[in-house]
Amino acid sequence: MTAPADLQRFEQLALPHLDAAYNLARWLTRNDDDAHDVVQEAVLRALRYFASFRGDNVRPWLLQVVRHTCFAWLKENRPGEMVPLDDSEEAWQVPGPVSEEPHVIAARNDERVQINQALAALPIAFREVLVLRELEDLSYKEIAAIADVPVGTVMSRLARARALMRQALAPEVRPALRAVVRPLPNGTQS
Amino acid sequence: MNLPSTDIRQLNAFVDGELDLAAQLVLEARLKEDAVLRAQVEHLHGLREAVRGRAEYHAAPDALRRRVGAMVAAQAAGHAPVAADARPVSIDSATGLKAILAQWFAWRPLVPALGLAAAVFFVTNLVLLPARLDERIEQEVIASHVRATLAQRMIDVESSDHHTVKPWLSSRLDFSPPVYEPADGGSALLGGRVDYVDGRAVAALVYRHKGHVVESYVWPASSSQAAVKFAEEKGFHLAHWSRGGMAHWVISDLNPAEFSALVAQLSSSD
Repeated sequence: MTAPADLQRFEQLALPHLDAAYNLARWLTRNDDDAHDVVQEAVLRALRYFASFRGDNVRPWLLQVVRHTCFAWLKENRPGEMVPLDDSEEAWQVPGPVSEEPHVIAARNDERVQINQALAALPIAFREVLVLRELEDLSYKEIAAIADVPVGTVMSRLARARALMRQALAPEVRPALRAVVRPLPNGTQS
Repeated sequence: MNLPSTDIRQLNAFVDGELDLAAQLVLEARLKEDAVLRAQVEHLHGLREAVRGRAEYHAAPDALRRRVGAMVAAQAAGHAPVAADARPVSIDSATGLKAILAQWFAWRPLVPALGLAAAVFFVTNLVLLPARLDERIEQEVIASHVRATLAQRMIDVESSDHHTVKPWLSSRLDFSPPVYEPADGGSALLGGRVDYVDGRAVAALVYRHKGHVVESYVWPASSSQAAVKFAEEKGFHLAHWSRGGMAHWVISDLNPAEFSALVAQLSSSD
């Protein structure tokens, strides 16, 4: 049971970050109701562990709890999404771009919808780092702590996440880009 | 995407402002010369701005906010945190008191166990306490007997006649000890003295039985009647019983068979 003093501290320090908690849960579950459930569960966990929380930055700590709760929830309810991720160099070849069907192209007319769809379509490990980086504006170090991976992995996942976003957002531009890149000496610059 | 992945990672870190100063200076120098790298950075900046500006930020809905507040309040009240109805988030004195009471009542299932433990403790003491008391008196009797033997000062009133010994003891004690005078069989009353056992002055009667010294300590007992119990310690044989409101402790270095025969005589005499 959490002591009254800790509860008060929790209300003052952690509850203001409820938006961040919900945003992360919503992007990871991609569903309002599920995010709702996950955040409640995460708050319960956070309450339980809050007494042992030492530090002055509650937001990354709370997001870490939310992230763990989310992954536990997804593993149980949607194991299909939890494909293990290969972070090695050989795995750099990213999955193919989104489909080019007419209704998808029509949806792209709205850039906002386009970006949200592209972000939601990212594999969870990439989505996670990109949301934490761009929407929560967290440092690589903080993201590494939340996602429980080394900073180097955060770096490469972010790079891949952005490459995937780029592919999804501007498939028609890619051939042109390749044409520009191809004639250049590959990896020889110092 | 023909740039080496290390370069792409570097460019991302550069856009994010996460490169250390040395790496950043190197990359800036490269960017001045390399149009492709510049284009990549441009692209990353564009993407970054697009995601930051256009991706939806999902703020917590009011329903969730209320529910979480209720959960914290429920925690404060010490309840299982389920509450569909919203309760105020603040921890007032009433919920504080409830929490304290709930903490107290959380002990309630343990009360029978605690009671049982107390009962077991009480009974154990009740059983063991007399045993411990006997043990202590036993040690005192042995000590008195050994001290008297070593000091060779066993007898203050030397007489085989209980009519001499008994009045002598009675005049020095606040009670009148029964004095057994063996009729025959190699036993003889040698005399008596006043000693100190169990926190009080007691009568010590000294007998000789087939060359062995036998001492009998007598004082008013708390229990008027108790059966004979034998003990053996440091080569001495001891027996104690209560009879007619008097506690008797007999000690000797006799062999067990003769000792128990003598004790039988003594304990049935008065």
